[in-house]
Amino acid sequence: MKTGKELKPGTVIKLENDPWLVQKAEFTKSGRNSAIMKTKLKNLLTGYKTEIVYSADDKLEDVILDRKEATLSFISGDTYTFMDTTDYTMYELNAEDIEAVLPFIEEGMEDVCEAIFFEERLVSVELPTTIVRKVAYTEGSARGDTSGKVMKPAKLANGTELQVADFIEIDDMIEIDTREGGSYKGRAKK
Amino acid sequence: MKARWDIFCSVVDNYGDIGVTWRLARQLVVEHACEVRLWVDDLRAFERMCPEIDVQRDQQWQEGVEVRQWPAQWRDTPSADVVIAAFACQLPPEYMEAMAACERTPLWMNLDYLSAEDWVVGCHRLPSVKFKGVQKYFFFPGFRPGTGGLLREAGLLEQRQAFQHDGAAQQYFLQTLGVFPAAGARLMSLFAYENAALAGWLDVLATDGRATHLLVPEGRILGDVQRWLGVDGLAAGDVHQRDALTVQVLPFVRQEQYDRLLWCCDFNAVRGEDSFVRAQWAGRPLLWHIYRQDEDIHLDKLDAFLALYTAALSPAAKAALVALWQAWNADGEMAQPWKMLLEHWPEVSAHAETWCLEQGLQADLATALVQFYESWI
Repeated sequence: MKTGKELKPGTVIKLENDPWLVQKAEFTKSGRNSAIMKTKLKNLLTGYKTEIVYSADDKLEDVILDRKEATLSFISGDTYTFMDTTDYTMYELNAEDIEAVLPFIEEGMEDVCEAIFFEERLVSVELPTTIVRKVAYTEGSARGDTSGKVMKPAKLANGTELQVADFIEIDDMIEIDTREGGSYKGRAKK
Repeated sequence: MKARWDIFCSVVDNYGDIGVTWRLARQLVVEHACEVRLWVDDLRAFERMCPEIDVQRDQQWQEGVEVRQWPAQWRDTPSADVVIAAFACQLPPEYMEAMAACERTPLWMNLDYLSAEDWVVGCHRLPSVKFKGVQKYFFFPGFRPGTGGLLREAGLLEQRQAFQHDGAAQQYFLQTLGVFPAAGARLMSLFAYENAALAGWLDVLATDGRATHLLVPEGRILGDVQRWLGVDGLAAGDVHQRDALTVQVLPFVRQEQYDRLLWCCDFNAVRGEDSFVRAQWAGRPLLWHIYRQDEDIHLDKLDAFLALYTAALSPAAKAALVALWQAWNADGEMAQPWKMLLEHWPEVSAHAETWCLEQGLQADLATALVQFYESWI
């Protein structure tokens, strides 16, 4: 069983005997310390999509999934092709199947992802908790801050924007924590 | 045939839970001809705002609402057509079984907390869990289009405006509470949780050039008032004066009386959810003491409301109001923000009325719930 609070993209839950893939999960604190999780779900049998709100403590039956290591092979339009690193099988996913990690997917990335299979069909991928990406653009340091506490916007090669430390420059490699939407973690070691 | 509604209210703390559900229940009966059962697990809290309640009785009728004691040991009860779990309370498992056994599946809604945050619109009216085929929905009150709106009885704003234009009616009402403010005094009400910022605010009110008459209904803030006054105890009816500030303790009053109290005052400090909404319907400047949450989440909610509420104010008036509200909710220093607010008093006062009328253009919460039910069936 999983609670509403534990749902995250890539989780598959069983609703009325059908498997549903969590494509997106947004956690929000409501009133008086209660919380909700707004989810975007896709029925893995019919492809039907829906949005459902769960209370943080709702109990849901999760589906045990197979997981394998895979790397991104190439991107063609909205189709993302991943390769099983052990037997080199190719699998395709649509952009919406990996909506939650899409901001950090880019051509040429070498991250070893966790591919999630339901009945031998690839349904989603999860990125490592920490990934390294190159900063494609950011303004120069405005205040000369070196503490890492002052933040500024930066763009990755695929156009994703995130807040980085003020001292980060164009072409710097940065570490990103991919959990909860992705956030800057620090400058990557060279 | 009248739709039958069951509203479940678990009194967690304070009076917001029962305050909101009691208003909603009455409005559904009076304005939408619904049959309403209000299940309450703490009738003593209810008794404070409805003294006619007999706390010993399992079942009674109050103003057209069937009030039921929500027993620890649930007894077999057929489900209504519409079931509201107020503020995410958990329904009795036996009652959920009764819902599932209904020939016609009932509509089950979680009536959630009030928030001005953006995400509310995206979650309002969305489905949630299913229990044996019975689908639960989330229903969110709110200030924006796309939410469930706010509780507001039909004709409330017209009644309020008429009352505020009738000096004699206001004077008579205040006299019934034993309130006789000095001519020219600023009349204010104070309903809040314990608040360390209070002393600084009372200090500045006491030294103000204009007299203030502060009405304090019995509640959690009374201890802080007592400490500031330096008295041994405070009870309803007590009046104390410190320089320009007169402090008067009032009894806990019925909701209708509290509305009128808010309508009489030039400024209202309110708290939580129910009194917060009612102060907005008063069309007078207000100060909100938000319910404190872990990790300071409440401050995000405060900022979200302030962003909406102050959007049409001039930058200076906005800065004054925001500073005052933030100080009040973070145990901050109140003197300077209060003085700043006084400098923008005409603008802030006019804005309170405008905001009230704008919010009044939205469908009220009870109507929105009924409309949802009608579209659902």
